[in-house]
Amino acid sequence: MTKDFLATIKRRVVIFDGGMGSMLIAAGLTQREIPEAWLLSKGEKIAEVHAAYLQAGAEVVTTATFGASRIKLQASEAGKKLDPVRVNEKGVEIARKAVEHSAKRDAFVAGDIGPTGLFFPPVGTLKAADARAAFKEQAQALERAGVDIFIIETMYDIREAVEALRAVREVSSRPVAATLTFDRKPRGFFTMMGDTTETAVEALLKDGASVIGANCTLQSGEMIELAEEFRLVTGAPLLFQPNAGRPVMERGIAVYKQRPLEFAQDVVKIVAAGANAVGGCCGTTPEFIREIHNALIHGK
Amino acid sequence: MQAFLDKCAKAVLEGDADGAGKLAREALDKKYSPLEVIEKGFVKGIREIGRLWEEGTLFLPELVMGAEAMKKAMAVLQSALTKSGSRPKSLGHVVIGTIEGDIHDIGKTLVATMLSANGFEITDLGADVPAGKFVDEAEAKGAGCIAISALLTTTMSGQKRVVDELKKRSLKGKVRVMVGGAPCSDEWAREIGADGYAGDAVAAVALAQSLMGAR
Repeated sequence: MTKDFLATIKRRVVIFDGGMGSMLIAAGLTQREIPEAWLLSKGEKIAEVHAAYLQAGAEVVTTATFGASRIKLQASEAGKKLDPVRVNEKGVEIARKAVEHSAKRDAFVAGDIGPTGLFFPPVGTLKAADARAAFKEQAQALERAGVDIFIIETMYDIREAVEALRAVREVSSRPVAATLTFDRKPRGFFTMMGDTTETAVEALLKDGASVIGANCTLQSGEMIELAEEFRLVTGAPLLFQPNAGRPVMERGIAVYKQRPLEFAQDVVKIVAAGANAVGGCCGTTPEFIREIHNALIHGK
Repeated sequence: MQAFLDKCAKAVLEGDADGAGKLAREALDKKYSPLEVIEKGFVKGIREIGRLWEEGTLFLPELVMGAEAMKKAMAVLQSALTKSGSRPKSLGHVVIGTIEGDIHDIGKTLVATMLSANGFEITDLGADVPAGKFVDEAEAKGAGCIAISALLTTTMSGQKRVVDELKKRSLKGKVRVMVGGAPCSDEWAREIGADGYAGDAVAAVALAQSLMGAR
């Protein structure tokens, strides 16, 4: 199946899944808990989210291992006591089973790697070697457990994305999607560190990313323009996963207000701008993926 | 003199902490007025950084390095001022911290650094700070403002508890409250009775200046 992914994404648009965290919060995850802990204690809840996305039309399910690097786990009370290797293996096992129990047995399992949460100098004191070691441990566990592809996402510093990429490349030859998170500034799109689409494209491709793009922070409408900008500078396969709008506060709770249909209409434009794969990030639900599926497959 | 002041501004703008420190010492050797060097030199650099940040020309690394350079120069000049008995014009005292239950430190620390680089006195309480502690410290230090960071939708209610605590002690209005962090907004600040919201470290400086009547 692995060998098919790149062929598939070059042939047609691949639909990824949507947000995991916001779904788990809706299922009762509290702020004292982390999704990675639920992999071990309430795996059935994670499996339900995967199943719902598959049923909605996702062709890629993303493991709930976004924060499962040793550095990130160590940073929270709930994560401290967890073994990163075990968490990552469990993440793949649950995603794989969800695929096998679904009507979409040929769906891909993407091993998710998110940022460490720390910063490189001058902002913080993170060392490249430490980031690489943590990512390598995570990538190795995901690889051994049998992911089809890797997805490195929500990276705010190109240097950290590159460390994660190199770590994956040290332990696996499977396809890797790498997406950064950009914000819109008066002068264009930049990461928090000031990286542009051009520098991102160049660095990610140089270190072996198979698919590149952006996720999080931006809403679907803004992501259309970013997709155009990416397509101007590269012919590589592109993945975009916007948020469901900007969160607004309602009685102290973050709410994403964008409607699934409106989101899907923007996603169609993102595809027209040159995306080869699309999905959702924060605030998106299976309903968003269903609308994307309907819009792309049936053109409605 | 103007050329020297320009060099000071440039050292901060370029994030050259060693250079800024050296210039500060040079200013003392040459018996320049530390206040003038701060206000017409280094502060100009940090203001320019703020402007370029807002415009999207400079980003987080440059902001942090500029603030560090500013701090280095201020450390040298401030100790000279303390010795001579005069004081740099403080824009006021801000007690800052991340609210109880929340360990996110980076944004708050950056805001503290920028406030300090722009001439505020800072008491940084760190992360996971109980609501009452903010108010205790503000009272003890005679602070005019409390700045509270919350990065989680569940911990942000703690910001409201700080406002409530100020009301209880009849300090509301005397001690201003500013809030920040990913889930916060102007609307949230209004809802809990805080005096303002800032979305980043540069906006926090502008907000503190307006709340404390420094501009």
